[in-house]
Amino acid sequence: MSHHFLEVRDLWVAYPDGTEALRGLSFRLEHGEAVGLVGANGAGKSTTLLALAGLINPCRGSVNLGGTVLSKQTVGEIRRRIGFLFQDPDDQLFMPTVFDDVAFGPLNQGLTAEEVEERVRTALEQVGARHLAERPAHRLSGGEKRSVAIATVLSMIPDVLIMDEPSASLDPRGRRLLIGLLKSFTHTRLVATHDLDLVLEVCPRTIVLSGGRVEADGETARIFQDRTLLERCGLEPPLCLQGMPR
Amino acid sequence: MPTSGCSLDENPGFFSRGGVDPRAKWLVTFAFLLVVTSFGKYEISRLTPLVLYPVSLTAVSCVPVTKLLRRVLVALPFVLFVGLFNPLFDREILFKVWGLSISGGWISFVSITFRSLLAVAAAVVLAMTTPFDRLCIGLEKMGVPRVLVTQLQFLYRYLSLLQEEAVRMVRAHALRARGNRPKIRVSSAASMIGFLLLRSLDRATRIYRSMLVRGFDGEVRLMKPLRFAWSRDGIFVGFWALYFLTVRFVDVPGRLFGWVLGR
Amino acid sequence: MHMADALLSPAVGGTMLAVTAGLTAYSARKLKESPDESRIPLMGVLGAFIFAAQMINFSIPATGSSGHLGGGMILAILLGPYAAFLVLASVLVVQALFFADGGILALGCNIFNLAFFPCFVAYPFIYRKIVGDSPSRKKILLGAILSAVAGLQLGAFSVVLETVASGISELPFRTFLLLMQPIHLAIGIVEGIVTGAVVTFVWKARPEVLESAARNTPLPGVSLRKVLAGLALAAIFTGGALSWFASTYPDGLEWSMAKTAGTEELEAPAERIHTALAALQEKLAFLPDYGFRPSPAGKDSQPEAAAAGENEGKWPAVDPATTVSGLVGGALTLTLAGGLGILLRGAVSRRK
Repeated sequence: MSHHFLEVRDLWVAYPDGTEALRGLSFRLEHGEAVGLVGANGAGKSTTLLALAGLINPCRGSVNLGGTVLSKQTVGEIRRRIGFLFQDPDDQLFMPTVFDDVAFGPLNQGLTAEEVEERVRTALEQVGARHLAERPAHRLSGGEKRSVAIATVLSMIPDVLIMDEPSASLDPRGRRLLIGLLKSFTHTRLVATHDLDLVLEVCPRTIVLSGGRVEADGETARIFQDRTLLERCGLEPPLCLQGMPR
Repeated sequence: MPTSGCSLDENPGFFSRGGVDPRAKWLVTFAFLLVVTSFGKYEISRLTPLVLYPVSLTAVSCVPVTKLLRRVLVALPFVLFVGLFNPLFDREILFKVWGLSISGGWISFVSITFRSLLAVAAAVVLAMTTPFDRLCIGLEKMGVPRVLVTQLQFLYRYLSLLQEEAVRMVRAHALRARGNRPKIRVSSAASMIGFLLLRSLDRATRIYRSMLVRGFDGEVRLMKPLRFAWSRDGIFVGFWALYFLTVRFVDVPGRLFGWVLGR
Repeated sequence: MHMADALLSPAVGGTMLAVTAGLTAYSARKLKESPDESRIPLMGVLGAFIFAAQMINFSIPATGSSGHLGGGMILAILLGPYAAFLVLASVLVVQALFFADGGILALGCNIFNLAFFPCFVAYPFIYRKIVGDSPSRKKILLGAILSAVAGLQLGAFSVVLETVASGISELPFRTFLLLMQPIHLAIGIVEGIVTGAVVTFVWKARPEVLESAARNTPLPGVSLRKVLAGLALAAIFTGGALSWFASTYPDGLEWSMAKTAGTEELEAPAERIHTALAALQEKLAFLPDYGFRPSPAGKDSQPEAAAAGENEGKWPAVDPATTVSGLVGGALTLTLAGGLGILLRGAVSRRK
């Protein structure tokens, strides 16, 4: 399905104080691809994600989702098709109950009450949180919050899932559940993270950022074995590869 | 946070979630408070039948009594402080008992204390037997402006989170300051509060962003139908309205006394 | 400084609720006129921030006591009068429900005392006038102190008015005033200092926050005076009507009810009571100084009650017999109520 691609072309983003966060970023994700976005702190991962969601305005370049170019007029439509998962689930769960949070997106999409209920039920089932529907958000554990946050995004049935550090502060079991979930999705997925082992498991392709530019873009396994490249970008091979002989 | 297993959100009772319409509870609470405050300042005994309201709601709603009592007693100090002026200023002896002359001031002091217990109990019972978001929706359906209701919901949602941040800050300060229970200086407090404020502003920005990416357009939509069931809620309101009116206009304890001794 | 239901009369409580409801509706409408989506999460988080900030107790130098921030002025400075008013109202509602700080009926009073004055009086007419568009450390501190003091003085004065008007507390107006005002002057100064320090902190760390706040917060302006006048009229009218109603009917009703109930109870079972109680009295010295008079003296107590009632609307059922019957009856009622509660609890838990 060619209309589900996500393309970034020559993206330049600068902050109000003048520092350049992104310098001519370009990449393209095809429908259904799972891509990892890695880089040291300050390399531009979060900025890239914010630009994709139209939360930061680039000074140059374009973002193109399936033929629709991101602009002031199209930002609403683009956001409807992107499911964005932020780093801190507490920032995403702001409604009185879990049900309300998962229903937030569909309600804003103008669906009827029955449709919304159906979406909420399905999304919660997908993440295994059906039993949490009536719980207030602040009474969830960390892992539960993460799952529910994912559900809030799934209920909108996005084309693309963009995630910022999804495994941060998850315990091993929670992390394992997350990895399983991510592998089961068929959406186009872009995962920005420090958790290189997760990328290895979930994303066949990886983009390495450094200094606001793309340093490498290709097969995950190959990139993660290139120590020189990784060190140049302020990274290390994933833990599970560190014992490997050269 | 550990739950007692009796958490409102997990154990619905007849008067808890899915139970009585929150509008009915608000109305009855207000009626209760109006009746309590409408008694003259020397009334004590005639207030006693009103105890039935908080007691029965607590009993039916799986709320631990100790928790209720603790919350109720916390509110006493200020009221007692002001109330203690009554005996000072109202010295007219109203009657004698056991050789003691009891002034009106003392009677009204006891009355004030009793009122305070009743009023606080009503508020605590309302809060402990109804999920907060149901209370908010009840308010909205009764005409409170939407922006205030949304505000209440957001506040409640982030209350514990921000309080934890504050606790962590105070703890960090305590670990670095001298003494067992170090006092925070005004200047330190100001910078701590300032940091807290900046972090709150940042959090608000992040929340706003996540609202935007989920299609927020300025209106927070809720799917929360409230159904006023005349069979359940009508009876609830009707019963208590009748009870309060009776207690207000009939001297129940006096009659009870008379009835008991009359037989 | 929160008003409690225990010291409130329905007339005062109801009036202030009406006034506050009007102010709330007004603020909500004003906010709708200048919509700003980002305001919703901001208001919510800042409301929670107030609670968090109040957990930071600092020691007040030279007094040895500790205090905490009220926060009204900070909200007004960051959000403007209308949004800050609503946030403060929400804080007070949560305090009344969950922290037993102030009563539910007293919410009208508390929101008025603690939110109206900082947001609609102190902020626009003192803080903004002093700090204006070009803040400086000195101006911020001066503005914060003066507006905090003004807000708290006005609020404290309202508390006194409301308490005295309710007639439950015996504190005379002047004494109460002399108690409240100086204390709240001191509290106001401290609040102002801390507020000034926090605002300066934010201004130094993120000046754009204050700039955008100042830009986006419309001041009430001339229309405020009209609104205040209207509110005052409404308050006087409602208050007057309610108090008239309260004084004419329920007290009158009370008097006649008490009189009727009192005499009814004394007359019929009086003889039986007298014999029983006389016996008890000797055996248990139960309420020894009490004269439970038999029917002949029952007729005597009637003119007493009537005289008392005629004298000055003082509650005539201070007639000893009724009081005792009240006490004992009250104890009985309490036991009944408690017992019912225990029974209910048992029934409910058995069903689970």
